[in-house]
Amino acid sequence: MGWARLPAAEPALDAVATGATAAPAATMPAGRAGPATDVVGLGRWRALGFVTPGLVLIGVFLVFPALWTLYIGVTDYRLTGTAARAPQIVGLENYRRALTDPTFYRSMWLTLVFVLGSAVLGQNLLGFFFAYALRPARPAVRRLVEALVLLAWILPSSVVAFLWIAMLDRDGGTVNVLLGQVPGVAWLIEYPMVAIVVFNIWRGTAFSMMLYSAALSGVPPSQLETARLAGASTGQTLRDVILPNIRRYALTNTLLITLWTFNDFTPFLLTAGGPNHRSEVVAAYIYNTAIVGGEMGYSGAISLLVLLVNLLLALVYLRVARVRPA
Amino acid sequence: MRSTARAVALRVLAYVGLGVGTALFALPLLWLLSTPFDAAPRYAVRPPSEFTLGNFGEIGRNPYAVSSLVNSVVLALGTMVVVVVAAALAAYALSRVRLPGRDALLYALLLLSSVITGTAAMVPIFLLIFQLNLIDTRAGVILVLSGGLLPAAIFLLKDFIDTIPRSYEESARVFGASPLQILRHIVAPVARPGLATIAVWTMVQVWGSFLTPFILLRDPTKQPAAVVVRTLYTEGGSPNLALISSFSLLYSVPVVLMYLFAWGRYGFRFHGGIKS
Amino acid sequence: MADVELRALTKEFPGGVRALDTLDLTVADGEFFALLGPSGCGKTTLLRTIAGLEAPTSGQVRIGDRDVTGLVPGARDVAMVFQDYALFPHMTVLDNIAYPLKIKRQSRPERSGRARGVGANLGLAALMDRRPAALSGGQQQRVALARAVACHPSVFLFDEPLSNLDARLRLEARTFLKRLQRELAVTTIFVTHDQAEALALADRIAVMEAGRIRQVGTPREVFGRPANTFVANFIGSTPMNLLPGVVSGGGVAVAGGTLTPSTITPPTAPGERVIVGVRPEYVSLSTTPVDGALTGEVSIIEHLGAVSLVTVEADGALIGATVPEDREPVPGSRVWLSPAPGRVLIYRESDGELVT
Repeated sequence: MGWARLPAAEPALDAVATGATAAPAATMPAGRAGPATDVVGLGRWRALGFVTPGLVLIGVFLVFPALWTLYIGVTDYRLTGTAARAPQIVGLENYRRALTDPTFYRSMWLTLVFVLGSAVLGQNLLGFFFAYALRPARPAVRRLVEALVLLAWILPSSVVAFLWIAMLDRDGGTVNVLLGQVPGVAWLIEYPMVAIVVFNIWRGTAFSMMLYSAALSGVPPSQLETARLAGASTGQTLRDVILPNIRRYALTNTLLITLWTFNDFTPFLLTAGGPNHRSEVVAAYIYNTAIVGGEMGYSGAISLLVLLVNLLLALVYLRVARVRPA
Repeated sequence: MRSTARAVALRVLAYVGLGVGTALFALPLLWLLSTPFDAAPRYAVRPPSEFTLGNFGEIGRNPYAVSSLVNSVVLALGTMVVVVVAAALAAYALSRVRLPGRDALLYALLLLSSVITGTAAMVPIFLLIFQLNLIDTRAGVILVLSGGLLPAAIFLLKDFIDTIPRSYEESARVFGASPLQILRHIVAPVARPGLATIAVWTMVQVWGSFLTPFILLRDPTKQPAAVVVRTLYTEGGSPNLALISSFSLLYSVPVVLMYLFAWGRYGFRFHGGIKS
Repeated sequence: MADVELRALTKEFPGGVRALDTLDLTVADGEFFALLGPSGCGKTTLLRTIAGLEAPTSGQVRIGDRDVTGLVPGARDVAMVFQDYALFPHMTVLDNIAYPLKIKRQSRPERSGRARGVGANLGLAALMDRRPAALSGGQQQRVALARAVACHPSVFLFDEPLSNLDARLRLEARTFLKRLQRELAVTTIFVTHDQAEALALADRIAVMEAGRIRQVGTPREVFGRPANTFVANFIGSTPMNLLPGVVSGGGVAVAGGTLTPSTITPPTAPGERVIVGVRPEYVSLSTTPVDGALTGEVSIIEHLGAVSLVTVEADGALIGATVPEDREPVPGSRVWLSPAPGRVLIYRESDGELVT
């Protein structure tokens, strides 16, 4: 899906966080020159006509499906059989089933571990470390490291998934070769959660690194110099000068990568949720119950929960980033 | 003196960390770079034992590999056209005409594009495309991808058009140009960098997208490279490393090129304008 | 060629901001006319309303003998030069100048011939194939003028045409603009917030405040006899002295002294509170006592080049006077100030309007 890693969201959210907040001011009736709307004389009807194709596409293929989950979630919709032709309303049965289903709880738990381990801790800390440690580095070194980290971020997910399958292969994978044990551990089978957490840190650190790198370059040099003149140690400077300056960045960064990691489908490409559901984070869980298992009604109910969590995260993000409907 | 010793130790630690971290990032990428040219491809990273271009010949021998690249191009171009046209029209109108509820609409678009993700919407989208009889069609994939990418595209493009001085259009208008003449003579050429950015951005997104074509396309002759790559290493027998590595590299190169093009030409911040 | 007439023109923006308030104005055919005022006074809105880029809430715009109120901008036969020049960045200078002619469906050779002619007249012949980004600010301004000239309109509208140029270039461009307007003799209305620019360029000036016209007149009238304290304050590079006073007997009590009928015509009602206005340029300063003069202590001296502005504190009021550069008094010394005969203006305190 276009949004396998929720790509569409990021530039939009970021665009707003950085540039668009100024836009409403520019269109305010300033008295002097006036709002100067409709400068080409398009007219409201033609303007509506311009907006319509885009809004129809968004409405039909993005908004409607989201609203439809409300309905699907209360039916016994299945891909095959009688329930496929004439789905019945079953009320809150799907939700009741989820709340009593250990596989659902396991998936929620695995998702939590995945998000906390790979995004909130992993990408966040490693991204900050890279940004911080690379500051004094020579430009050539810095560019090389950044390029590698960014490559991990931009390559297609089905390619990077195989790169890690090869890395972690039991018989000849690089990890086992480096550990001097061939054949060694079948990582994807014995430690599937560790594998997808490490994989996602590798895959997604670039965003945090770039964001912290921008944040760090925004710390006023005068404050850093004041700390140095006062004889502050590296740790004290970090705590008293740098962290207070980048706190807001850290918060928005954490919210964004949490949202994306929560919705990330790529772990499925590594483990398909297995073995035996042991790495079945919510994205894989929905896929396996809906598309593989055919239980549309039940997975529709789970989808609604995902939507609600997303909505919550996005609202908090927009609030923190100070984006408002003007 | 104790503090200097500690500072040195910290510095050394940072360099070691940086070195290990960089190696961690480099290893999988090195595999992608070296294995396609290795006459005896293996799982482990190593320089080619014997340099060869023969692995790329495997791509031609696979029944789906070449067609999947064609499919990727078709999906990328198709979605790009839909997104650029629809987003350009909408962004222009939203930037220049104060439609009622415009700001709320933009806010909603922003929210939607981050809330309604592939994971959250795969069930209803699968059902919708199923009901519309668009399962196993490229059109279905293009429509779904367009719907997902449009909110961000409209938002980014509106931001861009907002920076174009209105006096261009006003000037042309005083000279007597009609709205359509102004759009054709003035707005479209001036907005071209923004349109190109959105076009490249869309193609990058579609080129790498996996989930949508994965659930909507069953016929391997219609699947794009993103899906076909996976079937190469999941379906049956021992994987053909020569094929997987060379095909992965070939499939990855356009994304990197598009990034470099967009980055070099329009110089946006990496996490601002474009990302997959 | 045409005159421009505005009748009871009102423009209210959504939200209730009244940018133009029942405004009447006539600009004669061939006149070089300035709309002058502080930012937010509605001058740009007025210009844009004449162009048709803003629709008035009520009232009428007439150009020549046509009522153009309901016409689209393109049908009004006006040409406008924008503050940022609005040169199309993707077109060459030639294409920019020829663009209005393209809209008028002239053939390619015809319009490029005419554009080259106009461009050559404005000293742009060597620049015709460049893009606007490769031009200096002054050249860009001339391209914008050329584009306006090329369409042979009956009215030119210039929005702050000189404000984007640096100070030195501005003087040069000002002279160029005035000569161009004289040669073409096309009715020209321009907006500026710079009173010196308006005085230098315009045949007549309308001074605006809060959507109304406070005075219309020639530069001499507006400078010499401002119709109210607002205009008095706004015009002149050194601010006019505006001193509170009271009419008493045959004169006006002001700043601890009395100005007698020999220098002013007394207003009608004795005891009335007034504002006495006199420009520093019209105040003569003496270091020896003068009969009937105001007296005070020199507090500040500012050097303005050929003259210096001396600020004198007289009974709590601050009065400015200009003196030649080699005649400055010593700060702290006592001086005597006498306004030039016939140069003292009396404004009512209540509404700030000129009494005499």
